[in-house]
Amino acid sequence: MLEVSRVHTYYADLHVLEEVSLKVSEGEVVALFGPNGHGKSTLLKTICGLHSAARGTISFRGTDITKSPAHKIVEMGIAYIPEERHLFPEMTVYENLMMGAYNQRARKTQKKNLEFIYDIFPRLKERKNQPTSTLSGGESRMVAVGRGLMSEPSMLLVDEPSIGLSPSMRGVVFNSLEKINREKKITILIVEQEIRDALKLAGRIYMIKKGQILFERSADGVDVKEIEKAYF
Amino acid sequence: MESFISAIVSGLISGSLYAAMALGLTIIYGISRVFNFGHGVVALVGAYIAWLFVQNATLAGAPLLMGILVTMVVMFIFGYLIYLLAIGPLMKKPNWEISTVLFMLGLGIMLENIILQIYGPRVKSIPVFISGNLRFSNIQINWHDLAILVIVIAAILLLNYFFKVTRTGQAMRAVAQSIPGAKVVGIDIEKIFGLTFGLAFMVTAFSGVMLATKFFMNPNIGWDWMVKGFVIVCFGGLGSTSGAIFAALILGIVEALTTLYFGPSWVWPIWFIIFIVVLLVRPQGILGGRS
Repeated sequence: MLEVSRVHTYYADLHVLEEVSLKVSEGEVVALFGPNGHGKSTLLKTICGLHSAARGTISFRGTDITKSPAHKIVEMGIAYIPEERHLFPEMTVYENLMMGAYNQRARKTQKKNLEFIYDIFPRLKERKNQPTSTLSGGESRMVAVGRGLMSEPSMLLVDEPSIGLSPSMRGVVFNSLEKINREKKITILIVEQEIRDALKLAGRIYMIKKGQILFERSADGVDVKEIEKAYF
Repeated sequence: MESFISAIVSGLISGSLYAAMALGLTIIYGISRVFNFGHGVVALVGAYIAWLFVQNATLAGAPLLMGILVTMVVMFIFGYLIYLLAIGPLMKKPNWEISTVLFMLGLGIMLENIILQIYGPRVKSIPVFISGNLRFSNIQINWHDLAILVIVIAAILLLNYFFKVTRTGQAMRAVAQSIPGAKVVGIDIEKIFGLTFGLAFMVTAFSGVMLATKFFMNPNIGWDWMVKGFVIVCFGGLGSTSGAIFAALILGIVEALTTLYFGPSWVWPIWFIIFIVVLLVRPQGILGGRS
């Protein structure tokens, strides 16, 4: 479904991604692990068009999207859920979710998607008329996930969904991602620091270090110690 | 007492005109963070285009309506092209804040001189749409002034509706609040910026026509209008539409009362004293949330 092939990315002179290749198949959940500042988020941003690859190719369902602008990539069905959330602070929860359905394709299914989101996050339904600047960190994360789902994606790129959340809120977010994958058949590529939580969700993992793929494994029977060791 | 009430009324009318004029400035700044230093001249170009339609009329009426429509269409396209050909490319470069300011300033000076070449330096004015007065006991209001007030309020409501309800308007608000957020939901930022410049130029040109029916115009009056616009948007809070409207009404009334009690030459000093006090006490403006 998604194929990243020998991608190089720079931030000014900083060589962030070196020769990164990865594949995600239809319906899979793939987790990306790696220390902070080693290129995990940059990889997601490069895929969704917020950042551009200097070399290499990225293709989605057989179409080359390496040079496509971010809004075209959303239209093709990839939704990026940023770690920083980037909500619209003066808009209500409802307005934020509806902005998620901005692309032509998503507007046909916006009612159904909104119901699904209120179903997995009942809290958002309670707060639908509140501006998002008044929400807690966990609630804002729910809006970010919900807004991504409103774009009617076939693939979600989720960047550190649990960061800064309490353990119970973390559970809510991970359960929702599991449900999204199982019920909506949405493929997920997730960057996460909570290795144990992510391993319950993912079928496969990639380890990134210093901008390169260190290894790729099936999540079954993966040794958590081995992953943790790779962090140092 | 009557003169006091008359001053308040006339202050509200000029305030509503200033509000209309400040809107274009605050729309561009709020959405793209570009400070339009050619703003006043853009308004003036709009007024001169409309003047072509009414130059031989004694009562503006229908020809002015034609003129306004043509001006608005022309200025929308002009704004869109300015973004596409100049501001857009400049915004992709480092130090775009200062380079876009200088570009708009240069464009303003150029347009001012084009106006001077075509129309000459003499003072012009657009005739009123309707003549006659409305009387309440001892206070009288021109029908024309009342019409200005109604038109400006209608324009502000229409604009508000546009931002709240239409897809493009919502996308503009989204871009104003978070550019990365807007990209993530699939908004084509370039297109929205282009439309924003088009919309702002159109609104600004419209306000220029309104100003020229109430006051007079010559090729360099645009800079005066722009300075007023700057004071208003800083007073109201940069990028805040409701703040700009509020500030414009206050300053309009201040202007009228100052003229009544101290004389017109005190208007600018008093405006700037208020302006400086606001900047010192509340630098984000009276209603502005963002710094």
